[in-house]
Amino acid sequence: MSAQTQLAADEKPWRRPGEKPFIRIKKLTKKFGDFIAVDDVSLDVFRSELFCLLGGSGSGKSTLLRMLAGFETPTSGTIEIDGQDMAGIPSHERPTNMMFQSYALFPHMSVEQNIAYGLKRDGVAKSEIADQVADMLGLVQMSNFGKRKPDQLSGGQRQRVALARSLIKRPKLLLLDEPLGALDKKLREETQFELIKIQESLGITFMVVTHDQEEAMTLATRIGVMNYGEIVQVGEPPEIYEYPNTRFVADFIGSVNMFEGRVKEDDKDFVRIESQEAGTEIYVGHGVSCSPDQKLWFAIRPEKLILNRKRPDGDSNILKGMVEDVAYMGNLSVFRIKLDSGKVVKATQSNRVRRDDEAISWDEEVYLTWDETAGVVLQS
Amino acid sequence: MTESIVNSKPFQWTARFLARFGLSGKGLVIAVPTLWLLVFFLIPFIVVLKISFAEAMIARPPYSKLVQGTESGFALNFSFLSYQYLVEDGLYLAAYGSSLRIAFFSTIFALLVGYPMAYFIARSSGRWRNILLMLVIMPFWTSFLLRVYAWIGILKGNGYINNLLMSIGIINEPLVMMQTDFAVYIGIVYTYLPFMILPLYANLVKLDGSLLEASSDLGARPFTTFLTVTLPLSLPGMLAGCMLVFIPVVGEFVIPALLGGPDTNMIGRVLWDEFFRNRDWPTASAVAIIMLLVLVLPIMLLQKAQDGQNRSETL
Repeated sequence: MSAQTQLAADEKPWRRPGEKPFIRIKKLTKKFGDFIAVDDVSLDVFRSELFCLLGGSGSGKSTLLRMLAGFETPTSGTIEIDGQDMAGIPSHERPTNMMFQSYALFPHMSVEQNIAYGLKRDGVAKSEIADQVADMLGLVQMSNFGKRKPDQLSGGQRQRVALARSLIKRPKLLLLDEPLGALDKKLREETQFELIKIQESLGITFMVVTHDQEEAMTLATRIGVMNYGEIVQVGEPPEIYEYPNTRFVADFIGSVNMFEGRVKEDDKDFVRIESQEAGTEIYVGHGVSCSPDQKLWFAIRPEKLILNRKRPDGDSNILKGMVEDVAYMGNLSVFRIKLDSGKVVKATQSNRVRRDDEAISWDEEVYLTWDETAGVVLQS
Repeated sequence: MTESIVNSKPFQWTARFLARFGLSGKGLVIAVPTLWLLVFFLIPFIVVLKISFAEAMIARPPYSKLVQGTESGFALNFSFLSYQYLVEDGLYLAAYGSSLRIAFFSTIFALLVGYPMAYFIARSSGRWRNILLMLVIMPFWTSFLLRVYAWIGILKGNGYINNLLMSIGIINEPLVMMQTDFAVYIGIVYTYLPFMILPLYANLVKLDGSLLEASSDLGARPFTTFLTVTLPLSLPGMLAGCMLVFIPVVGEFVIPALLGGPDTNMIGRVLWDEFFRNRDWPTASAVAIIMLLVLVLPIMLLQKAQDGQNRSETL
């Protein structure tokens, strides 16, 4: 599904120790007055990666991107692109191009003139520019729109022009600020895959800023989750989803049920957690580095919970509750189940048959269980 | 909120009452400015047009009647004498020419001075922006006449500039600045500068900063960005400012009268002389009508510029 599956594991440069990063961000900080927008961020991105910076508004992801483009000057720290220190290099001399969230197409120029703008500034010959613009228009499937002005285009078409304009100089690094944010859902999904295709065919390193976790999961080779100016976790999409390192990441990516608890038994191969919120003992089938009686959180995704009318065997990992609400989403149904402790748990079931008269419904008493390795133990 | 007003009883009563006289709310709103333009613009214009086709005579009013009652009814007395006079006497053509020339160059000067100021104000931070705009508008707080008189004090033979230059020793004799075209240009550019700055500012302040960043990002140096992005996008503002300066300057009367010399031959002054010195109302009216015709083109340009401004706003 996502781009990184197309690379074999040993082709992933970030997994090879000693591999030289293409973009090296070291201890980068940006302050606006007292406000710290980007806080001591260090990050390595490798050649031909499609790296996603994911975070809510105000998390500093856009500021980080703007520092890479040269629109903001870092308060401290360094940025290196392909071995070259970017300090003091103005934006018009950087080997980066940016696709703006608002697209920032020049309204007084035609589509062709917009796309040609970058090459013209470099003094490329006219015939050469015409050829490259035609190629670019073909790549983004806009060949018939070259003579139009931006205000004669739809949102999706403008997005393509903006992409073509930022790609034509073959930058070492392409920065994309919420590239699909202004498109409707259907168009966004189509464009995501096109973007990946274009990125792979050109081999240009992409750095995408987005607040949409689905978009990040689909596009990225790796995701960097940002919160309050810091990068809290960097990893491949499955890693971020299945092995979040904090409650923030677990909660930000997808939906999750979180139970507070205390370590009851800590062994090399398992942990038992006592949780009043869950009303059951939680058994985790792998070792966790923790100390006895330590407070921690157990997180489990809704799709990993199994619903049952009858009480399953065993004495741990069993929740009992009342179905409060069922939301039918088409491909799956979302159950909201109220536990005896008052906590509401979300569980999803995929709808494998078209009509199920036996389906669990409102106000039924149900049991929830899960595999002993399905959840994550979080320390903070 | 508007919903509740529309649905309220008094509103509906009023609307029903007005509808009885064939008036809708929309019609009423448009009626006010229409009436205003009719009474204060169109009717006076027709009066002036009428007088321009009359002949001057010593009477009260000092022109012949267009429609004269005769024994068999009435006769129309159209005379093109005034227009003929305008074409034949080189003075008038020269005055039109010189007015247009002075208006043209003043507009250019005002643009050259006003553009950087408008640009700077638009780019400065919020608090400074208000202060600077205030400074641009502040001259309007004192009388325009007073300000032009002040320029006499600055430019005259023993005025501030000459005194300063002579005390430093740069010049030995005072420069002759008063009663020259130079003084007229100074006065006009000074007076009309706000009309250049304000529309330009209104245009430049709306300029999307991300366009400038995009230009820089694509490899354009700041000056190239200015030439290829800022300047073309500010054309509607430039056009509006230029026309707001050019149109009134063509008919300007006070500044050339106070600062200009006997050689400064502008159409506003000719108009004044015809009306009040020669008491030749028909010729004066003809001068005014021709001036209006001359200004139709720039006025249309102004309309177009304002359309352009509005369009760029909706984009």
